[in-house]
Amino acid sequence: MRPTVSVFGGHLPGDSVWHRAGVGWKYLVVLALTLPALCVQQPWLTATGLVAVVGCLALCRLPARAMFAIPVALLVLLLVLGVFQLVVGRPDLAFVVPGNVLLAVWAARLIIVTTPASVLVDALVAAADRVPFVDGERFGLAVGIMLRSVPFLSGAFYDVRDAARARGLERHWVARLTPVVVRAVGFAQATGDALAARGLAEGRPSAPHPRV
Amino acid sequence: MIRLSDVGVRVPVAGPPGSKVLLDHVDLRLAEHRIALVGANGSGKSTLLRLLNGLIVPTSGRVEVDGHDTRTESAAVRRRVGFTFTDPLSQLVLPTPLDDVELSLRARVRDRGERRRLALDWLDRYGLAAVAEQSIYDLSGGERQLAALVSVLAVEPSTLVCDEPTTLLDLRNRNLVSQVLSALPHQVIVATHDLALAGQCERVLLIDAGRVCADGAPAEVLDRYRELMA
Ligand SMILES: Nc1ncnc2c1ncn2[C@@H]1O[C@H](COP(=O)(O)OP(=O)(O)O)[C@@H](O)[C@H]1O
Ligand SMILES: [Mg+2]
Repeated sequence: MRPTVSVFGGHLPGDSVWHRAGVGWKYLVVLALTLPALCVQQPWLTATGLVAVVGCLALCRLPARAMFAIPVALLVLLLVLGVFQLVVGRPDLAFVVPGNVLLAVWAARLIIVTTPASVLVDALVAAADRVPFVDGERFGLAVGIMLRSVPFLSGAFYDVRDAARARGLERHWVARLTPVVVRAVGFAQATGDALAARGLAEGRPSAPHPRV
Repeated sequence: MIRLSDVGVRVPVAGPPGSKVLLDHVDLRLAEHRIALVGANGSGKSTLLRLLNGLIVPTSGRVEVDGHDTRTESAAVRRRVGFTFTDPLSQLVLPTPLDDVELSLRARVRDRGERRRLALDWLDRYGLAAVAEQSIYDLSGGERQLAALVSVLAVEPSTLVCDEPTTLLDLRNRNLVSQVLSALPHQVIVATHDLALAGQCERVLLIDAGRVCADGAPAEVLDRYRELMA
């Protein structure tokens, strides 16, 4: 299975100011960077936000590729958003809308790349714990598993695409999507089993279910 | 000690006869320090192993771990019996080995700093300190298998059940994982196609079509296995 660069990236160890900053501060900075541009929708605010986030990312002192890379799918999305605004006659938004998406992605990277998943999850857990009726630990575990499954599922997608190509089925959507769904279900079952095997899932054990 | 009394496992299937027998009339006392399960693909090894820590319960008969029934006392059973899957990627549920070992410790260690220190300690013991914070996708096959093993050991079970731990590995990593397994103080019950690994065990069970068809010292059982597969 091939791991892939995900849109948000994964944690990269380092000792920059960003790596050492508390996770609460990072969440605050990210909100400060993104909220004005997202709320006000002015080109100069989006541009300022982008410059600021690029500056912040540069402070992480990590390879530029890891910080700034834009996966093809995201690039396509940005182009589509921009062209759509041009077509509907809003050239000002043709920069603001895709610019804000990019701003949000880069700002998210600022946290995700400089913070180990466990710390991120613990911070979310602490926040979620203050919400009534929410079990913070379970919530955090769900977030961690989600982070972990993004590369798995996108890897499955590319594997299956390659396998379909190898058989000359690249235009066959059923051949491309069915195995991804089957793998996703298999992955979910395996994750459930893995948690149960370590005593981390509740619920009574049962006789085997028929396989999907 | 794990005890299986007249255990049967069936799953419902579409069409007659309505169910498929995965295991039939299995009666075992598993007390030896090292036990191997051998048998063809689809013979029922994984099904038998999954019974041992209550991942599944039998449709008939019962399975007990130190007197605890897997059907009614699953928490006590899972504390005692750890389980590793063939594919470590299905086992490691979080992005890095460190996160994953911390997850295993979560139930017992409340303090975050302490949890992290202990997790690093566990990884260090198996030579994984350097890759503790790497993505599990960037580890070698052997490192991944070891990381999965450590995340189970961190729960501190007394018995370790391993489903084909070396099947996905190259020779070097197979040796590495075999060495780590054989050095463990735990009771180890392992399903494997690796005859060298099975040969090091005190007791080998040969599974065929859902039944235990030979049980004893490695030399004789592995001979039977070779005959059966010929
Ligand atoms: N949940 C299930 N539903 C249907 N068939 C199953 C299920 N689990 C296992 N089997 C079947 O039972 C047989 C034994 O499986 P398994 O215990 O995984 O064998 P092994 O590990 O020795 O390869 C196989 O034929 C398998 O396809
Ligand atoms: Mg198996």
